[in-house]
Amino acid sequence: MFKDMTLGQYYPIDSPIHRLDARSKFVGTVIYIVSVFMVNNYIGYLIAIAALLTFIAISRVPIKFMVKGMKSIVVLMIFAGLFNLFLVQGEVVWSWWILSITKEGIDTAIKMVLRLALLIMGSSIMTLTTTPTSLTDGLESLFKPLNVIKIPVHEIAMMMTIALRFIPILTEEMDKIMKAQMARGVDFEAKGLIKKAKSMIPLLVPLFISAFRRANDLAMAMEARCYRGGKGRTKMKPLKYHWNDAVAFLIMCGYLALCIIFGRGVLE
Amino acid sequence: MSLILDHVSYSYDVGTSYKQEALKDINIVIPDGQFVGLIGHTGSGKSTLIQLLNGLLKPTSGNIYYNGQDINDSDYDRKTLRSKVGLVFQYPEHQLFEENVFKDVCFGPKNLGLDEKEVNLRAYDALEKVKLSHDYFYQSPFDLSGGQKRRVAIAGILAMKPEVFILDEPTAGLDPKGSEEILTLIKNLQKDTGMTVILVSHNMEDVASYVDRILVMNKGELKMDGSPKDVFKKTEELSNMGLRAPEVTYIVRELRKKGFPVDDSAITVSEAKETILNALYHKILNE
Amino acid sequence: MSKIVEIKKLLFDYIRRDEEGNVEGITTAVDNVSLTISQGDFVAILGHNGSGKSTLAKHLNAILYPTEGTVLVDGKDTSEEDNIWEVRQAASMVFQNPDNQIIGQIVEEDVGFGPENLGVPTPMIWERVEKALKAVNMYQFRSKSPNRLSGGQKQRVSIAGVLAMQPKCIVLDEPTAMLDPSGREEVIEAIRELNKKENITIILITHNMEETIYADKIYVMDEGKIAMEGTPREIFSEVEKLKSLRLNVPQATMLAYELKKAGVPLPDGILTKEELICHLS
Repeated sequence: MFKDMTLGQYYPIDSPIHRLDARSKFVGTVIYIVSVFMVNNYIGYLIAIAALLTFIAISRVPIKFMVKGMKSIVVLMIFAGLFNLFLVQGEVVWSWWILSITKEGIDTAIKMVLRLALLIMGSSIMTLTTTPTSLTDGLESLFKPLNVIKIPVHEIAMMMTIALRFIPILTEEMDKIMKAQMARGVDFEAKGLIKKAKSMIPLLVPLFISAFRRANDLAMAMEARCYRGGKGRTKMKPLKYHWNDAVAFLIMCGYLALCIIFGRGVLE
Repeated sequence: MSLILDHVSYSYDVGTSYKQEALKDINIVIPDGQFVGLIGHTGSGKSTLIQLLNGLLKPTSGNIYYNGQDINDSDYDRKTLRSKVGLVFQYPEHQLFEENVFKDVCFGPKNLGLDEKEVNLRAYDALEKVKLSHDYFYQSPFDLSGGQKRRVAIAGILAMKPEVFILDEPTAGLDPKGSEEILTLIKNLQKDTGMTVILVSHNMEDVASYVDRILVMNKGELKMDGSPKDVFKKTEELSNMGLRAPEVTYIVRELRKKGFPVDDSAITVSEAKETILNALYHKILNE
Repeated sequence: MSKIVEIKKLLFDYIRRDEEGNVEGITTAVDNVSLTISQGDFVAILGHNGSGKSTLAKHLNAILYPTEGTVLVDGKDTSEEDNIWEVRQAASMVFQNPDNQIIGQIVEEDVGFGPENLGVPTPMIWERVEKALKAVNMYQFRSKSPNRLSGGQKQRVSIAGVLAMQPKCIVLDEPTAMLDPSGREEVIEAIRELNKKENITIILITHNMEETIYADKIYVMDEGKIAMEGTPREIFSEVEKLKSLRLNVPQATMLAYELKKAGVPLPDGILTKEELICHLS
């Protein structure tokens, strides 16, 4: 099931967006997310969609690839859409039995689905164009000031790096364990909550034990390679701002200004 | 009564751009009671093949028949299939989970819906068969050594009383003595119970002295099917697939090439020893 | 030749504790072991599973500390805390499971991990990474994800990872146990190259006899003690003793041994099939 997840999967090509500093991309993404939450009329959404399409085009990641990544959240989007469609009160346009659809409902539903889609696609541009390592490096650098209030920024970033590396390995392992237990007659498609929960034990116990063993091995391997926290560490790929980061930043500010000017306001 | 694969193909991720053909048009008939070695490189399709036999994967095309019934028919009971065709995966760590060894071995038969007495009886019997000392019965499976874990994993499937017993690299990670013990155990089980055994391995020397028949897979195709002697004759074909016959076959063939009158079909150390001694004896007689 | 590893009367006890932390039992994993390894040697430590060979190896990297006795790596006592990082840099360690020791998402980033930890300046990290990847023949894979590599390739990346720390000695703890035959060959080939070309001391821990044929010296361990030591030829001539230690000789050696037992005049400790053929014809 995790195989379809494109979110977080680096798409290895070269593009102006790929070349940006991870920090710029992170800040840019935050600006984009803010803008999506700020706009409330259709002009605003049009601006956001246009901007998104432009970014995708510049990033040279095939749209097909991005749409595939959406698959995993389609259910969530449909659910959010229907929820709004039927539950928002207002001027009724259609009704049957206890269900009724209102004009406001349609409006909110469309906006909700659009908002979700824009958020997911917008943030996946960042993960698609940035290697997980430079992303964590970027976050580490951006949040470094938090060190002052005793938040272990380096350690958290390292944990993220390791988690990202081990998700595919553990996913594969889970698949193998499932098959090994199915060969022993476990029915993972069992109906009923209790039965289902019970069938999870033979899957989760080996998975946890394996994860702990791996964690132990990895800790040993890291120590053997002289890892001793962030102090005195140098970087193989240090982050550096270039002129293109400034350009990107300006573009994002311009975009945000457009959203504020045209994208906000009462309906019609 | 046999296991038949009829034009079986399998592809991963059908319908996506990642589509990969893992098996191409495989035809095999395995009669009851045979000890079969399934050999191939990593990624040759051998793991996919054994998962098809046990119904964990469904062929993209073609049919698999067990005892005359298509195992992928909608009315074929999967549970019975899994009990009849037992599959032990490579890493025992992937299946052991109960708090003690005995309980873990009970897990399989319990899933078959047997009553408690029968379950316990089978578990006890299976643990006896794999020759695990009684001292370990109530220990946690996680505290056992690699070889012992493997025995428990094998017992876990044996307790389901399979007619066809498939083992995926049962000796991986074991030391030489441990490997030998496990293989001898499997050979004895096969002789005593008369079940069909399919042993997946990439170690030719292991396989040579135990199996009746070898299937060689390469890039999703069945490349060779024959007795160990027939298969190991084709050293060149084997090396093209990144595989090697047992070391002694190369020795006897090289000797023969040098005009030494040995029987170059020897595939085990004892066979090689015999024929070399024979040849030396004749040489002395002639002189 | 200078001594890179000196182990004097090493004893190590594993202490098992129950849930409350009371001592349940003590297992002596390494029992009074002394040995010396010279710079540039290729040494194999053989032994069946549970013979104490991995415990011994972990002492060379200051992952474990002696209960009794001393371990000197490059002249430094491993049990002194100030020496830890120098010891770990001098004697780097490669472990059994390649998946559990690769940290980076991309091959080159993983190889850079060690030098980063050592505080090597950025441009020099790149130099070291390039050199290390080339030495194990993995340079063309530098921008690949480790998940897309075969077992043998992953293990070569792990070797490059420690190589980039410029160690004098590499300790490999069963590096081929999880690999298929071709992966095994790749890794052994890479190790031999490093030993010959870069003059790096190799300490190979294994239970696979075939891998030790090219070693300068073999130590065989059993029950925490050194049961045999010698050149491969000396070790391989004692087939019966090896068998009693749960080990197995290569088929060529086995055949030669059997023939000799049957009265064929052959020398002791034949290692390869070429030797055997040469002696027979």
